[in-house]
Amino acid sequence: MVTPTNDPDFDVIVVGAGPAGATAAHRLASGGLSVVLIERAEVPGAKNLSGGVLYASVLEELFPGFADEAPIERRITRHVTTFLTADSAVSLDYSSHTLGHPVNGVTVLRARFDPWLVGKAEEAGALLMPGIRVDSLLTQAGPDGRRQVAGVRAGDEELRAPVVVAADGVNSFLARDAGLRRTPAPHHLAVGVKAVIRLDPGRIEDRFGVRPGEGAAHAIVGDCTQGIGGGGFLYTNQGSVSLGVVLRLDALQASGRSTSDVFEHCVRHPGLEPYLRDGEIIEYGAHLVAEGGYGMLGEIAGDGLVVAGEAAGLTINNGFTVRGMDLAVGSGIAAADGVAEAIGNGDVSAAGLAGYRRRLEESFVLKDLRTYARAPKWLERDRLYGAYGELSADVLRRVFSVGTSPHRPLRALARAALSDSRVRVRDLVSDGWSGVRAL
Amino acid sequence: MKIVVAYKWARNPQDAEVREDGTVDFGRSRAAVSEYDPVAFEVARRLADATGGEVIGLSVGDTSIGTSLARKAALSRGLDRLVLVADDALADADSTRLAAVLAAAVRTIEDVDLVIAGESSTDLAEGQVPLTLAAGLGWTGLAGICDVGVADEVVTVRRDLPDRRQTLLLDGPAVLSVTADAVVPRIPGMKEILAAAKKPVQVLDHASLDVTPVGAAGEASFEVLSTSRPADGTRRRVLIDGADPDTAAAGLVAALRTIGAM
Ligand SMILES: Cc1cc2nc3c(=O)[nH]c(=O)nc-3n(C[C@H](O)[C@H](O)[C@H](O)COP(=O)(O)OP(=O)(O)OC[C@H]3O[C@@H](n4cnc5c(N)ncnc54)[C@H](O)[C@@H]3O)c2cc1C
Repeated sequence: MVTPTNDPDFDVIVVGAGPAGATAAHRLASGGLSVVLIERAEVPGAKNLSGGVLYASVLEELFPGFADEAPIERRITRHVTTFLTADSAVSLDYSSHTLGHPVNGVTVLRARFDPWLVGKAEEAGALLMPGIRVDSLLTQAGPDGRRQVAGVRAGDEELRAPVVVAADGVNSFLARDAGLRRTPAPHHLAVGVKAVIRLDPGRIEDRFGVRPGEGAAHAIVGDCTQGIGGGGFLYTNQGSVSLGVVLRLDALQASGRSTSDVFEHCVRHPGLEPYLRDGEIIEYGAHLVAEGGYGMLGEIAGDGLVVAGEAAGLTINNGFTVRGMDLAVGSGIAAADGVAEAIGNGDVSAAGLAGYRRRLEESFVLKDLRTYARAPKWLERDRLYGAYGELSADVLRRVFSVGTSPHRPLRALARAALSDSRVRVRDLVSDGWSGVRAL
Repeated sequence: MKIVVAYKWARNPQDAEVREDGTVDFGRSRAAVSEYDPVAFEVARRLADATGGEVIGLSVGDTSIGTSLARKAALSRGLDRLVLVADDALADADSTRLAAVLAAAVRTIEDVDLVIAGESSTDLAEGQVPLTLAAGLGWTGLAGICDVGVADEVVTVRRDLPDRRQTLLLDGPAVLSVTADAVVPRIPGMKEILAAAKKPVQVLDHASLDVTPVGAAGEASFEVLSTSRPADGTRRRVLIDGADPDTAAAGLVAALRTIGAM
């Protein structure tokens, strides 16, 4: 069926009901615009395996009392960073109950979280269209003769609106379709593999040293990725833990290993096994992550089109955490306000929609992205994934092995370990300094 | 012609897990229109279009059946309007009870000619609701219907039985359960979902429905004595590697020969 007229069906079409799309739809509908939210999954979140730790302050601002109302798994009160070698683990452990109140990081499972956020958009009046995959953008000649986006096409059907919000995630071919984004280079992409492992809530609390309702987030570097650029994470949900590795695509290709091999290695790693023992894998999947930081951000507005969330390349991967959901929410807000302003002014051209970019620059989203702008380059330094873990493990092995020879001061032990290791002092200083500047 | 389609918003077994002891855990599965029901929607729609009639969806269950997602999922598949009995008191209702409430709800809709349902549900899968519903209404109940036709306001149905194929002419209101392959149901598109959001939904008050328990002894006319894991049957557990089509085909043929099927 094809629309017989060229009359718009809605003020705004939002494609993709992830955090970016759902937030944008909520805000646009709250402002009184007619909004349709199109999602290819039959039920929002059903296809979104990623999830993990959501930095919640932006949602708390949007929905006060958010953490009490939304289906979150646990409030993160413990952050652990672990360097793994083949047979040891060195961890930096920061835990504080103050991290839970006011809410900071919470763990979420997308199959539960996305429907909640989409429900907010529906309550505000947005129409959810599930089970529809948008195939392409619909364009028409604008007043000045230039092609402008006028809606979307799915199968042989068309839906029209003066503005489309592309919130269709990392693979966004809508943004590419509009020529706003090039296919990202492999070193700007990572592949994330994640499994959800069922564990009894009591066991989780014992093993991770957290109270009921509270949780831990472990960032893992080193042997969990078998030295491939990237990192691993282990997060506690209510009755399960999420274990994953994020691997830089170019490094993975160069290593000749498959993602599933690396993941297998990680699951069986002796440094992680005590946490996972007797757990049962109930979900498994892989997904691309954009990880080029600020460098990935391209054009985010065109004539009749804005791009939000991961579709716009908004993720931060600093090696220890992947952040994208909060940035998606933040960009959803900025996009909605920019679109509402453009519609109010009667100018939905790229220039008319420029308010989106301005708002994004002013918000925490691009500020944080700029703060971490050097992180991707820093993370390309290979020593991070092998030699440093070995070095720190070696220092600690010397500290903790009590033998018959007298103990030397830590300073001396560290120096001895360093001189035995593959790491040169000059590299250590250089990596350390760039790391401080990048993070 | 006025047709009611009884359907279920049920847990999808695709995401359910069979525990070690054989019981099924639906905890992680998401609800959807029970897979057997879109066929019933489609049969009803074609019949109504042929006679200029109306198709009313009817569902009974807990409050989740009344969410906008659940409403649109049904209304986008060829229905004109919806009647719901959404009450959390019905969350654990067995299928006999559900059929009794369905019957009470059908009675509130005037001049119904036909009730059509799928042959089973994806969650309880007891397959008896349509006929128990017919009993509750005092109507004819026919199961295994694979074709429904209409000419001059007269409905004929076909059923394929193991030893015969029958065509029946209906006289008076009836409840039909249609087979999963009776027709190929539509997959809703954008316009259908758009239209669905605008269609009327009537929510009936469960408490004020006149629900007559089905069966002489009232609701507790049977008691579950035991539940255990189903027998494994005669599965031979032959796994054929599909990597190479030729080898796979040869393996399949060999396996079928071994059991005497070829
Ligand atoms: C393994 C892994 C771990 C991660 N861990 C974290 C973490 O701990 N914390 C964090 O904040 N972030 C994390 N991220 C990143 C985070 O998942 C993303 O940044 C975030 O989901 C982006 O949100 P979004 O709304 O932009 O896109 P998405 O969440 O990808 O949503 C896009 C939606 O659009 C739909 N869609 C796509 N194409 C179409 C189409 N053509 N038609 C209709 N619908 C369409 C999809 O089905 C999807 O629902 C992780 C990512 C991965 C892969």
